[in-house]
Amino acid sequence: MSRIGVFVCHCGENIGATVDCAEVAKMAKDFPGVAFSIDYKYMCSDPGQTLIKEAIKEHNLTGVVVAACSPRMHEPTFRKVAAEAGLNPYLCEMANLREHCSWVHYKDKSTTLKAAELVRMLVEKVKLNTPLYPIKVPVTKTALVIGGGIAGIQTALDIANSGHKVIMVEKSPSIGGHMSQLSETFPTLDCSQCILTPRMVEVAQHPNITLYTYAELESLDGFIGNFKATIKLKAKSVDHSVCNGCGECSAKCPIKKIPDEFNAGLGTRPAIYVPFPQAVPNKPVIDRDNCTYFRKNGKCGLCEKICPTKAIDFSQKDEFITVDVGAVVVTTGFDIKGTDFFPEYGYGKYKDIITGLQFERLASASGPTLGEIRRPSDGKIPQNIVFISCAGSRDPAKGIDYCSKICCMYLAKHAMLYKHKVHSGKASVFYMDIRAGGKTYEEFVRRAIEEDEVNYVRGRVSRIYEKDGKLIVKGVDTLLNSYPVEIEADMVVLGTAGIANPESESLAQKLHISYDQYHFFAEAHPKLRPVETNTAGIMLAGACQFPKDIPDSVSQASGAASKVSALFSQNELTRDPLIAFVNKNTCVGCFMCQSVCPYLAIEKEKIKAKDGSVIREVAKINPGLCQGCGTCVALCRSKSIDINGYSHKQVYAEVMSLFNERSLEYV
Amino acid sequence: MQELNNKIAELLTNNLVSIFISYKKGLNGKIKPAFFTKPNEVYENYFGDEAQQNLAVYVHKPEVKKYSKVGILANIFALKALLQLYAENQIKDNYLTIVTVNQDNKVIVFADFNEIESYIAQHQIEKNTNKQKEINELLSLSREKRWEFWVEQLSSCIKCYACRAICPMCYCSKCTVELNQPQWISVPAHSLGNFEWHIMRMMHLACRCINCQECSRVCPMNIPLHLLTTKINSDMEEEFGQIAGMKTTLDFALNTFKVDDYENFIR
Amino acid sequence: MSDFEPKIIAFVCNWCTYAGADLAGTSRIKYAHNIRIVRFPCTGRIDFMLLLKAFQSGADGIIVSGCHPADCHYTAGNYHARRRWIVFQNLLNFLGIDTRRITFSWVSAAEGAKWGHLVNEVVDNIKKIGPYTEYAKLGKIGIGSISEGNYARIE
Ligand SMILES: Cc1cc2nc3c(=O)[nH]c(=O)nc-3n(C[C@H](O)[C@H](O)[C@H](O)COP(=O)(O)OP(=O)(O)OC[C@H]3O[C@@H](n4cnc5c(N)ncnc54)[C@H](O)[C@@H]3O)c2cc1C
Ligand code: SF4
Ligand code: SF4
Ligand code: FES
Repeated sequence: MSRIGVFVCHCGENIGATVDCAEVAKMAKDFPGVAFSIDYKYMCSDPGQTLIKEAIKEHNLTGVVVAACSPRMHEPTFRKVAAEAGLNPYLCEMANLREHCSWVHYKDKSTTLKAAELVRMLVEKVKLNTPLYPIKVPVTKTALVIGGGIAGIQTALDIANSGHKVIMVEKSPSIGGHMSQLSETFPTLDCSQCILTPRMVEVAQHPNITLYTYAELESLDGFIGNFKATIKLKAKSVDHSVCNGCGECSAKCPIKKIPDEFNAGLGTRPAIYVPFPQAVPNKPVIDRDNCTYFRKNGKCGLCEKICPTKAIDFSQKDEFITVDVGAVVVTTGFDIKGTDFFPEYGYGKYKDIITGLQFERLASASGPTLGEIRRPSDGKIPQNIVFISCAGSRDPAKGIDYCSKICCMYLAKHAMLYKHKVHSGKASVFYMDIRAGGKTYEEFVRRAIEEDEVNYVRGRVSRIYEKDGKLIVKGVDTLLNSYPVEIEADMVVLGTAGIANPESESLAQKLHISYDQYHFFAEAHPKLRPVETNTAGIMLAGACQFPKDIPDSVSQASGAASKVSALFSQNELTRDPLIAFVNKNTCVGCFMCQSVCPYLAIEKEKIKAKDGSVIREVAKINPGLCQGCGTCVALCRSKSIDINGYSHKQVYAEVMSLFNERSLEYV
Repeated sequence: MQELNNKIAELLTNNLVSIFISYKKGLNGKIKPAFFTKPNEVYENYFGDEAQQNLAVYVHKPEVKKYSKVGILANIFALKALLQLYAENQIKDNYLTIVTVNQDNKVIVFADFNEIESYIAQHQIEKNTNKQKEINELLSLSREKRWEFWVEQLSSCIKCYACRAICPMCYCSKCTVELNQPQWISVPAHSLGNFEWHIMRMMHLACRCINCQECSRVCPMNIPLHLLTTKINSDMEEEFGQIAGMKTTLDFALNTFKVDDYENFIR
Repeated sequence: MSDFEPKIIAFVCNWCTYAGADLAGTSRIKYAHNIRIVRFPCTGRIDFMLLLKAFQSGADGIIVSGCHPADCHYTAGNYHARRRWIVFQNLLNFLGIDTRRITFSWVSAAEGAKWGHLVNEVVDNIKKIGPYTEYAKLGKIGIGSISEGNYARIE
């Protein structure tokens, strides 16, 4: 027999002025199953809470309805009160008399009646509530960091320094990401490599970090605290345990003309290579797509012959390893559009129209020109250079509505670097707006304009074509009444849009995380949970979420790391038990439910006879993965799935109680 | 027919199946299902145009399930039903031997469900335009008239559940209609429960029903259930481009979605 | 008909529409009192059988509402729900059930005002089309019809 207590709160005047709370409490006394009811000025206040606790004990209540504000506001408060009085917290429900009644209706008999009906509805529900207990799941205190750019590096170091293990997976032969390609960095113009390299080395040497380069995530199963990741270690064809990194092989490799990814295609590299001098690890891999040995059935093999440590191993195979991890941080960074994306700028056919990343390589002391700004076509130093911002970005016609955020800044940096290196040269920047939000960013741009005399033109460039060895840049100056501008440039740099990695969609699917319309990974909440994803235990940092600069990437990385450390500070996780479960006896194993679960929480379970033979298969819900949406509950035809907190019985009783007291006879 | 009989006898003799589900002529001349367990029973086997009943329903009856290997003669509807059941994980591998007779009277024994899938794809069932016409007529009535029509039809339902018993897709061990905690379907045979029962049945069959219309055939009260099944089937095809009993894989109207499903009715 | 006060029941998800209705409250937006909200974790949880049960329990109108597409807290519950609604609505309409009495909508946690409007509109509309007696009469038709006492709207 239920003994429900009803506690009607006036919330000062908030409810009391519109709803006759004493009357509601009086009516509630007559609802079937109600053993006690009372109204009080402020239920959430200390005396209010004490009143509830005492009533629970004194009247031996089996359930509580607090009729007050929205449960979204105070449900945790009152559940805690119930628990303190020795009642299971999940035997407490709230009727929303404030947001859904007193605040939206006028003072009237019908408003009080509605309040009473809301109370009755929750009384009917709470009678069917069952005690629930938080779910505990163990935590594996190892983090998987996917992507070894600056964001991944920072995340890995922060987690490792707080005493937890980290496994880092980087798909290219070296960690470092885009930052390793940059010359100098805004807003301070310090050398990118100089601040990055020490951290790369720290990652490689940290006792808590295991680094897998030339590796990719194959699959991820499990749930927060308990993931199983399968990692594919691509065959390097070089045994790194014996290689001493002397570099003889790369020097002797007869294939030399492969466009160099690190130099953004502006240089070439051999088939056996270390991507750049400061690479970590500083040992080569063989690019099998371009190696003669692999392309021509064992011909060549020169490197094998000359390697002093006999490290070359053509027979190596891709290897798969499986690791247990408790959390995952995705830091796979971004990509940029190439010059071939722009018909109006010649589809990439003009050699001297380059991307910002290529300019970084030209300006870098370790780049193909050793830091001298020389144009790709003939190696001449350009005397007149044009930078174009928003190339692709903020252009709905090109399918990219957003601002890529970093281009304004790096183009200002480029123009400055150019002026510092070519004193006689002329630099112009075409822009739509200058977006220089950030500490000392605006000052940085002003320095480019004022000290380095960069010519800023507000307007779009409509076309570029070649004429007599010059690039004719045609645009308008919107600050001068759209006056046409034409510049005869020697070189043009496009601040092309930052975009998601081409494989980001498939990675998101492996991780079961969501992504936005541009394929950047989606954060759980744009403001309040910017480093988490909607999948518990998987975080984001860096430019894989959206194009961002180094300071933002690093702060997000530290944020993600602290989320991971917080998770790892517990031995067990507690989760709300409002999740679904299957009735094995009636489940017929059609597994329709499996395909509707957004969290892939539904598994197949074999029901076996004593002799071990399988009698039938039924659905089983993994309590670690289920988030309690209930989509499967409403789908299952035989109603073999039910859900805590919103069970068939509970919602049925709520609906049937609403208008017709006799409808309770149907329950 | 001789070819078919030989095949069935062969399957039984070689112990490839321990029971074979087919048809025979009853004493009154009516065609009814037959369950052969020995080769010498097969002489009774009958197959012809009148053999319309969808035998797939017997596959999950306990009396049949106790046999380790089952053979079945399947007409096109039974094939569709079996394929759908397979997609719904209701048929264990290597349990069924499925036989059909094609339009040239050739006996076909299917090696697996992929073969059935392609057979079905080549043997589309023609749409019954008469039934579609009946539906369109109903739809052209005013809503009130439609209501009157169905109240009259469904008020005669005696909840004998013959429709459920004959349906190859109704295989739940405990049907929601039998639940009383809570009581989803009102028990008394007044029309409220009848409406609930038939609405629920149709919702549960949406994109699973292969429209063999056995339910309509067996209804002792002659309720035109085929109107409901045909309607729900044509809806599925129109709204979502999906037809039940066509694929080995499980993606049906109600367990999948498209981000751009229409929603002009949502405010 | 002017004194007819319809009974409207709303099935809403916790994360968007319930929160939207909360916001209507905090913004002190006034709307008709005829509405009773039942809270669900997500529109994906809303069983179509409950809509029938609501009519049985005496509802003259029903609102079903959740997060806008792409906003579902559980990413896809509302997409699944939307499909079920399409099928359900077509079926009810074919059976002659008055589908004007069921309103589907998306109301986000930020759309307190939309919620207020929606409730008022639905209440006005149902006032116009009158009480839903047709469905209740089913209990009196057929072989096992029950007496008024067992199955009645409370007036
Ligand atoms: C031209 C240009 C100039 C810039 N100049 C500046 C500047 O001056 N100052 C500044 O603050 N910022 C600058 N930036 C921005 C800066 O590059 C980014 O903020 C930074 O690189 C983001 O770091 P990240 O680690 O998130 O991504 P990335 O640097 O892109 O690193 C991602 C890493 O993940 C790896 N990866 C990708 N996919 C996978 C996968 N599936 N599995 C495993 N590993 C994977 C990649 O190989 C890479 O190593 C500039 C950007 C550009 C394009
Ligand atoms: S939908 Fe229901 S019957 Fe089918 S597998 Fe899932 S739980 Fe079992
Ligand atoms: S309630 Fe939602 S999350 Fe949980 S198993 Fe069912 S569909 Fe998956
Ligand atoms: S949570 Fe609102 S619709 Fe899913």
